[in-house]
Amino acid sequence: MNEAAKKLSVKAVSKYYDGTPVLERVDLDVETGSFCTIVGASGCGKSTFLRMLLSQEHPTRGEILLDGNALPEEPTPDRGIVFQKYSVFSHLTVAENLILAGEFEKSPFTGKLFGASKRAAIAEIEELLERIGLSAAANKYPVQLSGGMQQRLAIAQALVKKPSILLLDEPFGALDPGIRVDMHALLLSLWQDLNMTVFMVTHDIHEAFKLGTRLLVFDKIRHDPQAPEAFGATITYDLPLAAPVTGPETIDPETIAGSIASKPAANTSNPSNSKQT
Amino acid sequence: MLKSLFKASLLAAALSLPLSVPSVQAEEKKDFKVCWSIYVGWMPWGYLQDSGIMKKWADKYGIDVEIVQINDYVESINQYTAGEYDGCSMTNMDALSIPAGGGVDTTALIVGDYSNGNDGIILKDKSGLADIKGQTVNLVELSVSHYLLARALDTVDLSEKDLTVVNTSDADMIAAYATDDVTAVVTWNPLLSEIEAQPNATKVFDSAGIPGEIIDVMMVNTETLADNPDFGKALVGAWYELMAIMSSDSEEGIAARTAMAEASGTDLAGYDAQLATTKMFYTPAEAVEFSKAAELSATMKFVAEFLYDKGILGEGAPSPEFVGVAFPDGSVYGDTNNVKLRFDASFMQMAADGAL
Amino acid sequence: MRIINRKPSRVTALALGLLPFLATVVTYAIASHYRRLENPADKLLPSLESMGAAFWRMAAVPDRRSGDLLLWIDTFDSLWRLGSGMAVSTLLALTIGIAIGFIPHIRSTLAPYLATFSLIPPITILPILFITFGLGEVSKIALIVIGTAPIMIRSTAQAVLDIPREMIIKAETLGASVWQMITRLVIPQVLPKLITALRLGLVPAWIFLISAEAIASTTGLGYRIFLVRRYLAMDVILPYVVWITLLAFLLDRLLLLISRRAFRWHHLGGDAL
Repeated sequence: MNEAAKKLSVKAVSKYYDGTPVLERVDLDVETGSFCTIVGASGCGKSTFLRMLLSQEHPTRGEILLDGNALPEEPTPDRGIVFQKYSVFSHLTVAENLILAGEFEKSPFTGKLFGASKRAAIAEIEELLERIGLSAAANKYPVQLSGGMQQRLAIAQALVKKPSILLLDEPFGALDPGIRVDMHALLLSLWQDLNMTVFMVTHDIHEAFKLGTRLLVFDKIRHDPQAPEAFGATITYDLPLAAPVTGPETIDPETIAGSIASKPAANTSNPSNSKQT
Repeated sequence: MLKSLFKASLLAAALSLPLSVPSVQAEEKKDFKVCWSIYVGWMPWGYLQDSGIMKKWADKYGIDVEIVQINDYVESINQYTAGEYDGCSMTNMDALSIPAGGGVDTTALIVGDYSNGNDGIILKDKSGLADIKGQTVNLVELSVSHYLLARALDTVDLSEKDLTVVNTSDADMIAAYATDDVTAVVTWNPLLSEIEAQPNATKVFDSAGIPGEIIDVMMVNTETLADNPDFGKALVGAWYELMAIMSSDSEEGIAARTAMAEASGTDLAGYDAQLATTKMFYTPAEAVEFSKAAELSATMKFVAEFLYDKGILGEGAPSPEFVGVAFPDGSVYGDTNNVKLRFDASFMQMAADGAL
Repeated sequence: MRIINRKPSRVTALALGLLPFLATVVTYAIASHYRRLENPADKLLPSLESMGAAFWRMAAVPDRRSGDLLLWIDTFDSLWRLGSGMAVSTLLALTIGIAIGFIPHIRSTLAPYLATFSLIPPITILPILFITFGLGEVSKIALIVIGTAPIMIRSTAQAVLDIPREMIIKAETLGASVWQMITRLVIPQVLPKLITALRLGLVPAWIFLISAEAIASTTGLGYRIFLVRRYLAMDVILPYVVWITLLAFLLDRLLLLISRRAFRWHHLGGDAL
């Protein structure tokens, strides 16, 4: 991979919480347009890794480069985010959630558009509403929507600023299996249209294989049964996958899944480990 | 449904029983309770209880008398009026408006003293009473301060319409005087002397200008007294024994006054200063003479008119004469069919005659 | 069926709700009746009729001295003081509460101080209030503000802290400035909770209002109660207490209604009491 193609470089990054290592010596180069799916046991630091890519948290050691430059110190519009919950604004309707980014840009003082300019902004997002299937629900509040509709809105909202990187933290974790398939289709079509680099944390190994062009598995290399928190996790598998959906699977997902599942069993002596996601 | 309603009302009746039956029953009994609050002329009540003089006299008549101090003056009168106590120390004015106006037949058993400078009007940066015109005056509304103000205004041909009265709690009077927007106050001792000590304060009128009108009395329930004359005798006997002690400059007298001074939060000198502006009736003869004097009737007329004018003389009182006040000579001011306040000198007379 | 699964019908629920009120009135009427057998002019528990007459006198008959309708003057003045005090408290809660909840440096500066300040019983510093603000309206309003603002500020700050971190991050990725986050995210999220804080704050506010009016005043509901207490006029005091309770109840319901109208999204998920 030549330097210019690198969208994001993670160089020897470690993260400690109060002296306890969560991630140790993570190295990664990702090229533009990749769809990286991230899996791993609970508490292995995959969400921490995602939060560092978002600048919500910062590495204890090492550095992260975006387009060859140091990552900004706080979240910026070039990296969109979808969380599992609370991704959309509960006090705004569907349409208001989608025009909000435009309002921030056009109205520095109040952050709000009125009258004709507001109507124009709403007209602009009509196509987007249509695409995510929420045209009929444009004036509903998020609490009135189903979980799948809320996450479609969250994805659409994260893409309004046309970020070059989209970060997804278990976005479909709370959804029914049938709904997830629809969501996968929506996400893949948006990814292909917008030429984004995607990082998606998931618990579902099949989802990871289905969607990703590259699968990252986080796990601990060293393990001390007497002190389960003595060592942090790193990337243990970095598998290139064929193009999503279409390509034949070269490695059986269950093999990977099995190797992940067997590890946490040794961790049962420390229940607090499982709380750290 | 009807049955449960009946049950409910029975329950309600049971619950309301403690509220509805006053503890003071008009019948012969052995245990009595009287209450008092802190004031220069009433400090002896506390000392009577502490020194055992009260117990000595109660034992003599084979009864039990408990003297209870209540921190809030108005509350003590209300408790008496509600029937919780058989007697209570109060002024003639409050006796007429609260228990008597509330239908509780009340007798003035011991006329202890009258205010002779203990209540006064203070103006800030002014020198004469007439300067009060147009000012805002802070006082405890409807109290003896208010009455004093009304009587003082009469002397300079002003009326309450010429000024604005602001009801101010006595507890906050000194702090209130310290603020810029308070320029006139009417209050009583020891607050009065405290405020008068401020450099910009001038006392322009005090109760020495209306001697004998603000009277401090031990009031007792008329029916209780009628059914239990020993209760009256014990109280009067104890009181005048202590009066003889505290008026003397003997060691015992100084000790008594020192104890009362401490109980009222001052020292002997401070208490003696307050006594100087209080006309104490140390002997029963003085009190009897004061009670029988014709001026008392005139005073009660002033008081009744004041209360009527302020609208606080009983529910829907049609005139100042609505509540009758009886005097020792048998004369009555006001409605003879509704006598609720009685000045009775007979018990004090017994003390004067040494018949207790 | 178990008692926890038996639910009253609408009519039964209404009747059950009225029952304790009715029982109180009946208890009172019986107690009053027996007291008045002893003394027809009893002041402690006057008859319902005489309370009604007293209330009518206060509400509809001009006062002999001033010619005013006392109840309405008292109500207006008290509500004005209460309203001013709560307006100031609400404004303080919104500004300081959001600053403390949203900006860590301000939180570090003010939160410990505020937590300490809110523990001072306001009545104890009354003389200081008098000397600072005088004996007039300002010190009464100040007492209400001091009594309610610290709690309201703290609950507003807590409401800001309770906004999911995810929403704030999301707003950042949508390009919002701090000011825009305050106007479009923090204030809208916090306002419904501020109304709740206001409703809870009204309870101590009434207490401080009545206390303030008892100390130095010429009008007001608390003034009247403490004035007529001097001659035990329960026939005036009790209707005034009922009237204050009614006003407080109506204010509370009005705020709830405003909240439901203005912040529909907040109430869609179901309501508490």
